[in-house]
Amino acid sequence: MDASKRRAGERAETQPLDVLIIDDEENFLEACSQTLQTGGYRVATAKNGTEGLKLAGESHPNVVLLDLKMPGMSGLDLLGQLTKTDPSAVPVVVTGHGTVDSAVESMKLGAFDFLTKPFEPEKLLETVRRGLSLSALKKEAQAAGAAEEQRHDKYDLLLQGLDVLGEAYSLGLEKRQLLDELAYLESEARYHAESLGQIKKKERAILDIRNELREADAIMKKYDFQKNALIQVLLDIQEKFRWLPRHILSWISGRLNIPLREIYVIANFYEAFSLEPRGRHTIQVCTGTACHVRGASETLTRVSAVLGIEAGQTDSRQQFTLETVHCIGCCALAPVVQIDSQYYRDPSRSKLEKVIKSLEKEEAQACLA
Amino acid sequence: MSRLETPADLEKLREEIIAGRNAKEKWVAVCAGTGCRAYGAETLADAFEEEIEKRGLSDRIGVRRTGCHGFCERGPLVVIQPSDACFLGAQPKNVPAIIDKAVTGEGATDKLLYLDEDSGKRLGNLDEIPFYKYQKRVLLANNVRIDAANILDYIAVGGYSALAKALSGMTPEAVLEEVKKANLRGRGGGGFPAGIKWETTRKAQGEPKYVIVNADEGDPGAYMDRSLLEGNPHSVLEGLILGAYAIGASEGFIYVRQEYPLARTHAAKALEQAREYGLLGKNLLGSGFSFDVKIHRGAGAFVSGESSALMSAIEGRVGEPRPKYIRTSEKGLWGKPSCLNNVETWAYVPQIIDKGADWFRSMGTEKSKGTKIFSLVGKVKNTGLVEVPMGIPLRDIIFKIGGGIPNGKKFKAVQTGGPSGGVIPESLLDLPVAFDELSQVGSMMGSGGMIVMDENTCMVDTARYYINFLAHESCGKCVPCREGLRQMLAILERITKGWGEEQDLDTLDELAEFMEAASLCALGQSAPFPVASTLKYFRDEYLEHIREKRCSAGVCTALIAYQIDQERCKACGACLRACPVGAVNKSEDKVFTIVQAKCIKCGACYTACPDKCRAVIKVPAYTIQNQPAAAATLPAGKQ
Repeated sequence: MDASKRRAGERAETQPLDVLIIDDEENFLEACSQTLQTGGYRVATAKNGTEGLKLAGESHPNVVLLDLKMPGMSGLDLLGQLTKTDPSAVPVVVTGHGTVDSAVESMKLGAFDFLTKPFEPEKLLETVRRGLSLSALKKEAQAAGAAEEQRHDKYDLLLQGLDVLGEAYSLGLEKRQLLDELAYLESEARYHAESLGQIKKKERAILDIRNELREADAIMKKYDFQKNALIQVLLDIQEKFRWLPRHILSWISGRLNIPLREIYVIANFYEAFSLEPRGRHTIQVCTGTACHVRGASETLTRVSAVLGIEAGQTDSRQQFTLETVHCIGCCALAPVVQIDSQYYRDPSRSKLEKVIKSLEKEEAQACLA
Repeated sequence: MSRLETPADLEKLREEIIAGRNAKEKWVAVCAGTGCRAYGAETLADAFEEEIEKRGLSDRIGVRRTGCHGFCERGPLVVIQPSDACFLGAQPKNVPAIIDKAVTGEGATDKLLYLDEDSGKRLGNLDEIPFYKYQKRVLLANNVRIDAANILDYIAVGGYSALAKALSGMTPEAVLEEVKKANLRGRGGGGFPAGIKWETTRKAQGEPKYVIVNADEGDPGAYMDRSLLEGNPHSVLEGLILGAYAIGASEGFIYVRQEYPLARTHAAKALEQAREYGLLGKNLLGSGFSFDVKIHRGAGAFVSGESSALMSAIEGRVGEPRPKYIRTSEKGLWGKPSCLNNVETWAYVPQIIDKGADWFRSMGTEKSKGTKIFSLVGKVKNTGLVEVPMGIPLRDIIFKIGGGIPNGKKFKAVQTGGPSGGVIPESLLDLPVAFDELSQVGSMMGSGGMIVMDENTCMVDTARYYINFLAHESCGKCVPCREGLRQMLAILERITKGWGEEQDLDTLDELAEFMEAASLCALGQSAPFPVASTLKYFRDEYLEHIREKRCSAGVCTALIAYQIDQERCKACGACLRACPVGAVNKSEDKVFTIVQAKCIKCGACYTACPDKCRAVIKVPAYTIQNQPAAAATLPAGKQ
C-alpha cells in the first residue's frame, strides 16, 4: 500500500491527534503548533509534564515533542513514563543549546530523535513527518501481531525487525533502499510470509549499519559534536572504515548540522579522504623531489608490476592500494616506499614480493581466525 | 609526579634528574628518527638493552632512543655519550663490540666508523666527521641527547628554563622586544621577521588571540620540521608558550601534516606531559598566565600550508587561501588575531630568551641571523639534515658537509626553496646562503629543502616536475594560478616529448610574469620560479630538447630509447628478468635485444644490467629505426 495514502487515511479516521508538544515556554509552543498546523497536522500543547502525560493518555498522539528542561517533572522522567503508558507514541526530544549529552541519554531511553533549539521550521516538519511514518508502522505491526496470536513467534521476530528498521530509519537514513526494506518487511508482516531466514539476514544488514552509525557517533562524541572538528572526524572515519561511506556522511551531516554538500566538498578537496573503499594495506611510493631525481618513477613501475595495479588503484580483493605521495619526509632514503607504517629504501623486486607475500599470508591467517 | 608550582620547583626537579642521570657512566643514544627506523633502529635499540642487561651493566650504561641525528644516509646511527663516539650503520650483530668499546675502549668496531676518503683514516668521534664538523648545530644539538617521549630528558638539558625566566622575571613586552632585537626571521619560507609579526598580533584588536605552529611541511624534499617535532617536540612547545605569553594568547594550535604520524604522536605526548607538570594549562609555574594547545591533523593538501588556508582548515573548512588585504596576524583564525610561525621558528624562541638576542645575533649575516636547518638530499654523498650558520657558501654545504656528488658524476645544480624556489647553477655556488641572497638569484630560502642535482638530472624535466606538482596542488580558486599552471604544464610536457617550439619559451616567460603579478597567494605567485630559474640558467637544455629532440641527461623518456650494446653484453639475462612488460627478446643464440614497440622505458633493464657490463645504454630516440619522427606524432591542434 502506498505509505502516504495510508497515513492520510489513518489521520482522518482513527487518530485525531498527530503531535503533542510539551514545553514550558509559551512562545515556543505557539511557534511550533503554528508551523505544524500550517503543515496540515493536528496539534495539542501542554505546559508541563503532568499535564502532558494526562493529555497523552487521553488522545494517544502519534508523535510527542517534549522539552528536556522543565520545572516540575523533568523531561527524562516524562520520557520514561510516556514510553510505558503509550508505547505506540513516538517521542522526540527538544533540547536547548549545548546539552547534547542529555540528548544522547534520552535516545537511550527510547527517544526517536532530538532537535536542538533553535531549529528551522523545515527541520521540525521533517522530523515530525518521519516520526509519524514510524508510528504508523509500529501500530500496524502491533495490530497484525495481535490478530495472529498463534504465530506469535514469527511476529516477534517481525516486530524486532521493524524495531531495528525503525531505529535505522530514525537515524535519518532517507535512503530509497531503507524505505524499500521497510515496505518489504511490512508486506511480510501482512501476508505472514515464511522467509524467516531472509528477514534475519536483512536484520543483520541493518544492525551492521546501526553499529557503524554508533561508531560514527562515538567518534563525533570525542570532539564534542563540534562543527569545526569535521576534518578530524572524517580523518577518524577514514582510518576506521578505510573510506567515507555515503550513509555515514549523511549521518554526520545530520548530527553536526552541516549540509551534505559541504562534507563532500571537503572529502574531495583533501587527499586523505577516499570515496571508494581502499585496500587494507596502503603502499605509498614517494614522488617528492629528492625521490624524483633519484629515480622514483622506476621504483613506481616496479611496485606497480609486483602488485599488478596502477597508482591510485585498489586491487579487486581490496587488499592493497597503491598511491603516489608528494614527499613523506624521508628524503635521505630516496627513493622511498612506505608500506603501511614501514619505510623501505628503494626496495628491489624480490624484497617487494617478500613483503607483499607476508602481508597476504597475514591476511589469510586473519580470515581463518 | 606533582605539578610544578614555581620556577624554583622546576630547578629542583632539574637537579634531581641530573643527579639521577649522573649515576650512569654512559648512555647509548640510538637514533630513532624516521630514517633510522627504516634501517631497523628499533631492533637495534632492543639489542642494546638486552646485551646490557645480560652483562649486568644496567646500572652503568643506559640506552636512549633519540630523535634524528641528521646523518640519515648512514643510519642507523649510534652515539656513545658523553664521549660522542659515533657508529654508523650498526646492526644488532655489532652490539657486543660497541659495548666492549664503550666500556673498555677496545672492540672490533672499525668498520662502523666513518672512513675519511682523503686520508684513509677512520674517524670515531662525532665532531671529527666532516658531515658534523662543518655544521653549527643549535636547534638539532639536543636531538642526540633526548628521548622525545620523555619530558625529563628535555628538562635535564635545560628545557623550560627560558619559560621560567620569562614568567618569573620578564614582562610580555620584554620577551617580545628580545625576539625583535634578535631579528629572528620566519624559517618557513618568506623570512618575515617573527618579532614584527608577534607585535602586530599583540596590538591587534580582538580576543582571544591565537598562536599556531605550522607543521604542514608540504615542500617535497624538506623534512627538518618533521625531525624537530619528532625529535624535540618540547622545544617547539616551549617556544609556542613563550610566544603566547608575549602576544597575550590563551590558546594555541599545532597543525601537523597527516603524513607525519610519529611527529603527531610525539607532539601529543609532549602536550600531555607538559600539562601533567603544570607547564601547560592554568596558571603556569604560578605566574597567573594560562595557556593550552590543541593538535590539528592536516588531511593532505599542499596549499593548506599557506597561513590563511591553514586557519580555514583548523576551522573545519576547505583549506583554501583568501586574499590577505588584512593579514592573518590581525584577523586570522575565527576572525581573531592569530600568529602563525613555522616549527623551526618557534623552536628557536626558547634559546633566544635563554641566551639573549646578542648571542643569536652573533651568528649569521647582517640581515639573516642565526642558523638554519637544511635537508641536504638528492644526488649528494652525505644526505641528511644539516644545520649551518646563515651566510655559509652553498659550496661548503654541498662539498664539505655533503661530500660532493656520488659515483664521480658532475654537479649540475642545486634546488632550494621547494616548489616555490628555483635552481642555482654551479657558477653561483659561492653564494652565501641567506634569505635575501637566495631571492636575488631567483630562488628562495623556503623551508630549507636543498636538492642536489647531477649531470643525470634533466632541468626541463625538473621544471615539469614542479609545475606538475603545483598544478595538482593548486586549489583552483584564482585563474592565474589554475590556468597558468595548466598551460605551463602543457608546454613543458610538449617540450619533454620533443614537440616543443622555440616560441614556447617566450610563452613560458610571459605566463611566469603574469602569474607572479596576479595570483592570489604565494603558491601561485612563486609557482613560475622553477620554470623561470631553469630558463635563466639552463636555456641551452630547453633548446636542446626543442631543436635537437635530445635529452642529454637521459631522463625525458620520449626522447630516449634503451638499447643493448652487443659488444658489452655478457648475456646474463638480468634485463630479461627485470623487464616488467617482456620487451627484452632472447634469440636462440642468446642475443638479447629490446623490442622498441613493447618497451615502456621504465629503465628496469638499465638498472638491472651489472655495473661491470653497462650493456644497456640510453640512446636518443631518433636514432632508433621504426620510431616515428617525433613531430609527426603530434596530433593537430594538441595543446
